[in-house]
Amino acid sequence: MSANRRIFLGRCGTAGAISVGVSLPGIWRGAIRAAGNQAKPGGRVLVVVEMAGGNDGLNTVIPFTDDAYHKARPTLAVGKDRVLKVTGQVGLHPRLAEIRALFDDGQVAVVQGVGYPRPDRSHFRSMDIWHTARPEKVDLRDGWLGRALELDPRALGGGVPALALGTEKLPLALLSSRVNVPNVQSMDAYKLVAGPGDSSTQARSRQTLREAVALHGASGSEGGAASELDFLRRTADVTLTSVDRLGEVAKAYKPGATYPGTGLAQRLQVVAQLIAGNLGTQIFYVSLGGFDTHSRQQPAHEGLLGELSGAVGAFLKDLKSHGLADRVMVATFSEFGRRLAENGSLGTDHGAASQMFCIGAGARGGVLGAHPSLTDLVDGDPKHHTDFRQVYAALLEKWLGYPSEPVLGKGFKPVDCVKV
Amino acid sequence: MLDNPLAPHAFGVGGWSWRDAAHLLRRAQYGVSPDEIERATQAGPVATIDRLIRPQAESAEFTSAEALLRQTALDTGSTANLQAWWLYRLGHSANPLTEKMTFFWHNLFATSNEKVKDVALMLAQNDLFRAQALGNYAGLLHAMARDPAMLIWLDGNANRRRHPNENFAREVMELFSLGVGNYTEKDIQEAARGFTGWHMREGVFWFNASQHDTGDKTVLGVKGNLDGDSVIDICLKQAACPRFIAMRLLKTFVMPEPGEAALAAVSASIRRNGFVMGPVLRELLTSRLFFSGEARGSLIKSPLDLVLGTQRALVPAPRLEPTISRLSALGQDLFLPPTVKGWEGGRLWISSTTYLLRANFAAELTKGDLYGQLIDLEAEARRHQLQTPGEATRYYCDLLLASEPAQAVRVRLEAFASSAGSQAVRDRGLIHLILALPEQQLM
Repeated sequence: MSANRRIFLGRCGTAGAISVGVSLPGIWRGAIRAAGNQAKPGGRVLVVVEMAGGNDGLNTVIPFTDDAYHKARPTLAVGKDRVLKVTGQVGLHPRLAEIRALFDDGQVAVVQGVGYPRPDRSHFRSMDIWHTARPEKVDLRDGWLGRALELDPRALGGGVPALALGTEKLPLALLSSRVNVPNVQSMDAYKLVAGPGDSSTQARSRQTLREAVALHGASGSEGGAASELDFLRRTADVTLTSVDRLGEVAKAYKPGATYPGTGLAQRLQVVAQLIAGNLGTQIFYVSLGGFDTHSRQQPAHEGLLGELSGAVGAFLKDLKSHGLADRVMVATFSEFGRRLAENGSLGTDHGAASQMFCIGAGARGGVLGAHPSLTDLVDGDPKHHTDFRQVYAALLEKWLGYPSEPVLGKGFKPVDCVKV
Repeated sequence: MLDNPLAPHAFGVGGWSWRDAAHLLRRAQYGVSPDEIERATQAGPVATIDRLIRPQAESAEFTSAEALLRQTALDTGSTANLQAWWLYRLGHSANPLTEKMTFFWHNLFATSNEKVKDVALMLAQNDLFRAQALGNYAGLLHAMARDPAMLIWLDGNANRRRHPNENFAREVMELFSLGVGNYTEKDIQEAARGFTGWHMREGVFWFNASQHDTGDKTVLGVKGNLDGDSVIDICLKQAACPRFIAMRLLKTFVMPEPGEAALAAVSASIRRNGFVMGPVLRELLTSRLFFSGEARGSLIKSPLDLVLGTQRALVPAPRLEPTISRLSALGQDLFLPPTVKGWEGGRLWISSTTYLLRANFAAELTKGDLYGQLIDLEAEARRHQLQTPGEATRYYCDLLLASEPAQAVRVRLEAFASSAGSQAVRDRGLIHLILALPEQQLM
């Protein structure tokens, strides 16, 4: 593992010297991508969209030709004539119109049948598994993206290598013992309020605080109070740095698309703004909640899929207008899918395998893998055939340029969802 | 490292100090005022712990204000008014440790009015926590199985003979008494059968015999026609049970990562004291472990510790409404825990967003009177002879920080204080800066 990491860091150093311009001929662009990437202005960006609550994958990518689907869902099945067909067997939910248009443009990889062995149907546990990429044991010290950032010398050096937007807490996926990632619940509130006194007193106060929080370092390894203080100083430092940087980059941006008024769209617009402002952030994390549709699922689920599709569509259009579309990949996931059979209250209960979307110019467009069988079930749920860590491996290695083995604990064969 | 972590702390040559008194009071209540530290320093450790553990009479003012707030909460049925009632108690009761332990139980048996939707039932549950705050955990666990708010919260009425609902039985083991890894899924299923028919009707517990499963069950190796009480008694007999409570006590009152020796000692104390918390806390809060260097300043403040604590030191008559909304923004809505796991606390309290909110709270508190008038800084300076920037820095660091700041921090604070104008402007700016420091988040 350590040899791997050395090789990677060496590669990174070389790649860092090359400046990536958006006007490079395609052939060069490919070569630079393959050489790895890191948190720097002009680098590649991953935007993770969490669909919290357990998205009903069977009503997202719909096996419309399968009688078992229609039979198991007498009230919830989406009719053959309504689905947005993408192959002879499956189609997207009618509210995914923008994602369908991107699919037609070759920019959406639909990875089917994604899950993990011995699926856990608890929201808490399954979400933790997706965040830590550790289905085998309960170990919540860090998350898969946090561990990836630890491989990046620039992330270890400070700055804003990753950012969670709109979340109350820092998502576990971004937790690391060595890299602190800021979470911004609301951009408007993400400001340091000045203290008492005139403006020069306020400026001196702010400067003193900046210096005091920057005193983190070696003392943190001792444990006890010293390690808690070190953690607090590191968090405060990245907080004050990100407040300043976010304030600077946000100014010049003008949206190149009309975003819907939804929460997810507003958050993705901020992401676009920060990418356009060259913040140098490599990973963004946003969440859309409400997918736990145990009862009267249809209106709620349709609304959420519409929110996802409208937001992602506007986001990519905006990026394109800023010449940034090639740099950004959106990846969606949910902690589990839902049961094949609907329940007695017009909803669905917690299930297992589901699909992931990888969306962007760098995605290998198409439907990857078969739709899981609806007759060969485990506890009433379709079985997974692709481990979610295979998708993570593709995003890490092929898109972001990190070795995936040190992050995921062992080698996973990357799914072919990213163009190299 | 320590032979017996719970052996009484031997106060050294200087004896019980101002700093020792401040440490004890910061942990045993929500913050501390300078007067309280003075009084405790004079009174000595024995009298101070005595005052915290033995019931103290409430003032007439407290009694009437409390009654008014309680009635308002009941009359309006509003969660915000219920929060105001408890916040007043947390900040003003003459029995601060009782209030802190009341919160300890609220956080352990975390019940949310989001689902219960009944202020009177939430208040009754809270009164139960308070009555047993320093009392018997075993009795409280039994009482929770019959508590109407809890029955609503964990779907008691859905637990029927032919269709057992595992919700309460699972949490009794996982979150209320044993912790993950100390039982099997089968134990939960069998335990749930014991609680079948433990229902609620018209706001009170009701044993619905027709829905109770009287067959044999086996829970944690014990077989018989077990009912809810016998299931709880079986849990209480497990070695994991006092350890589970010991861990919570240590993380709440002593240190974030207690070692095995501390855990074993507190667990033994809980068992020895038959789950009665008063004597356990007396032992814990006067122990070598509690006064060790490792424990001091090692806990990350919860929003309650931060907000109420700062107000206790600096704002004599804090306003309840802005306090409630600040606590809410920081993630601690009383009576509305995020999940049945309660508030997990520690480092999870801290993110960029909450750090900014904590720092901005410091600015709002010192700039205007949103949270109430600040103490009179000129009078304070006269009383404590805060003439030089160094004197002011030392005084306010001692009052507001759990540990002495590093030299590099103190030097910067003094430099800031030196460049300020008048004494009152200087001290206001200094207080703001100290409250925004990472060091301020520790206690």
